Amino acid sequence: MVSGGILLDLVERVGGAVVGSIVEVPVAGADPAVIERWCERSGHRLLSVEGGTARILRGPVPDDEAILSSVPADRRPGARLWIYTNFDCNLACDYCCAKSSPQTERRAIGPELIERLVEEGVSSGVSEVFLTGGEPFLLPDLDQIVSACVKRAPTTLLTNGMLFRGRRLELLRSMPREGLALQISLDSATPDLHDRHRGRGTWQRALDGIRTAVAEGFRVRVAATVAADESGAAESAAFHRLLDEVRIDRDDQVIRPIAQRGFAEDGVALTVESLIPEVTVTADGVFWHPVAADHEDQLVTRDLFPLGDAIEEVQRRFADYRRETDAAAQRFTCA
Amino acid sequence: MSKPLLIGAVAYTPNVVPIWEGFRDYFADGPVETDFVLFSNYGRQVDALLDGVVDIAWNTNLAWVRTVLQTDGKCRALAMRDNDLAFQTVFAARAGSGFADLSDLRGRRVALGSRDSAQAAILPVQYLREAGLGDDEVELVRLDSDLGKHGDTGRSELDAIRVLLDEDADAVALGANTWKALAADELMSDALEAFWTSPEYCHCNFTALETLDPDVYEPWVEHLLAMSWDDPELRPLMELEGLERKWVRPDLDGYASLFKAVEDQRIPARW
Ligand code: SF4
Repeated sequence: MVSGGILLDLVERVGGAVVGSIVEVPVAGADPAVIERWCERSGHRLLSVEGGTARILRGPVPDDEAILSSVPADRRPGARLWIYTNFDCNLACDYCCAKSSPQTERRAIGPELIERLVEEGVSSGVSEVFLTGGEPFLLPDLDQIVSACVKRAPTTLLTNGMLFRGRRLELLRSMPREGLALQISLDSATPDLHDRHRGRGTWQRALDGIRTAVAEGFRVRVAATVAADESGAAESAAFHRLLDEVRIDRDDQVIRPIAQRGFAEDGVALTVESLIPEVTVTADGVFWHPVAADHEDQLVTRDLFPLGDAIEEVQRRFADYRRETDAAAQRFTCA
Repeated sequence: MSKPLLIGAVAYTPNVVPIWEGFRDYFADGPVETDFVLFSNYGRQVDALLDGVVDIAWNTNLAWVRTVLQTDGKCRALAMRDNDLAFQTVFAARAGSGFADLSDLRGRRVALGSRDSAQAAILPVQYLREAGLGDDEVELVRLDSDLGKHGDTGRSELDAIRVLLDEDADAVALGANTWKALAADELMSDALEAFWTSPEYCHCNFTALETLDPDVYEPWVEHLLAMSWDDPELRPLMELEGLERKWVRPDLDGYASLFKAVEDQRIPARW
C-alpha cells in the first residue's frame, strides 16, 4: 500500500499527459508493485522505478494486433517470407548485402527444408515468398525448390540473370510461369555504373538474361540498386526507356538506394528498429530482414522450426519497437 | 455535402487532439465528412452551437441542460457513450470514519470539486439536501480548480481528496470515474473508503440544434454507433474517449436529476 498522495500524483500527471508519452513521476518510498498495479488497471505501462522516480508510458498502450494492423497488409511483418537458398554466387558485387562471391561457402538450405518452411509459413500467415541468395541458379535442384514454393504461395525468385545457358537454361525452362516472378538486378541504363559495382561485362549479360527470361514467357521484375548521388532524374528516365524497350512492365521497374550492410561502405544506415521486418531464413537461422541476413545483431533465432514461433517473435519485437519509437517521437514534436 | 459536419469539443487534455483527429479519419470513410473545433470551455462551445458555428457539440450533462434551457428545448441529443448512461457520484471519507450515510455528514466539512461539475458539486449538493441536510448544516469546501470545463479534468476532485487526506475536510464528493481512475477501492483502501454511491444519471452527449437536418445527422449517428471495440485501430481511440465498449442512443430521463438540481440551486442557464 502507498500513501494516497502518490496515487493522486499518478492520476494527475499521467492522466494529464499526452497518450503515448513517457511520464516521470516522483514516487519516493512507494511500493513499485502498487504503482505497477495502478498502471495495469489504468491501461498505462510502468517502464521503471529508479532513484525515486517512476517512468510510465501513458496509455492506452496499443496491443500488438493494433500495431500490426496499422501496417499495410502486404508489408505486415510475417506477410513476406524471404529464403536465402544459398550464399555462393558467380559474381562478387561490392555492395552485396549477403557478402556473396564465388569463394563464399554455399550454406544451402535444400528443397526439403524449404518446402517445410513455406508450408509452416503459409499456415502462419505468409502470403508471398522470395527466394534469394547468393545466386540460386547455382543450385542443381532449384527447380524442385521453386515448384515447392509456387504450389503454396506467389513466389519471386531473385537472380542476377547471367546463367541462362545450357543446363541452367533448361532449369529455367522447366519452371512454372504462373505464380512465379523473376527479379533481376540491373543497376543502370548503360554499362558503366553496373559494371563498376558488379564487374566488367556483367551489364550486357544481365540484359541478355532479362531478354531470355521475357522471351521464355516469365514475368520479370527489374531492380536497380543506385547510390543516392547517382539516382538523378536523367538516370532513372534512361533506365525506364531501356526497360520499356525490353518489355518490362512499369510496375516491375524498381529503383532503390544502396543499404549500408554487407560490403557496402556508404549507404543508408539500417537498424533493427528502422526496418519493417520481413522474416528471412538462411541456413544459419531466422533474421529480421533480408538486407541483414548475415548480421548477428539482426538474428531472431537459430531455430528454423517451428517457423511460426519465429514469425510471432518478429511481430512481438516489432510491436515493442513501434511503441518505443512512437513514445520517442512525442519528445521531438517541436523540433 | 460540400461542407463537413463540424463537431465542437472542449480541450480539457492534450489528448482531445488525437481523439478528434481519429474521429475525423474514421468519418472520412463514412457517409458524412466530419471535422472538429476545440474550445477552451463549455460556455464558448454552447455559444458556438447556438450561433451555428458548429453543427454538433460534445457536451457535458451541465452543457446539455444549459443548451436545453437556452433553446427552450429546441435541441436534440444524438448519442452518448455506453457509460454516460450510468454515471454516478461517490462520497468518500478517510478510512475508519464510520460514516454510513449522507445524514452522518451533519455538522461536517465536505470537500467538493469545481462548482460547474455536475458529478462533484451540483448533484452532491442536491444529494445532501435530499438526505435532509439544510445548507447551514454542512460546511462546503469548494475546490474550483478547473472552472469552465465542468470537472472534465478531474483536477478539482483530486484537490478535494488532498484536502480530505490533510484532514481539512471530513468527506469528499467525486465522480465514480475519478474514484475508478485512482483504483482507490483496491490501492487506497487503507486511506479512503467510499460510503455512499448515488443513483445513476446521464453524463455527456452529442448535442445538435433542432434545425440540423435528419438526413445529415441520422447517417452520422449510424456510422458513430458502428464504431467497433473489436477493431484494433478504433479501440485505442474509444478507450481514450473513455467508452466502456460502444456508442449508444441517449436516454434523456437520465438528466432529470440534474435539471432539478440546476433549478433548485438557481444555477443560471447562461455562463
Ligand atoms: S549482389 Fe547478388 S549477384 Fe552480386 S554478389 Fe551478391 S548475390 Fe551475387
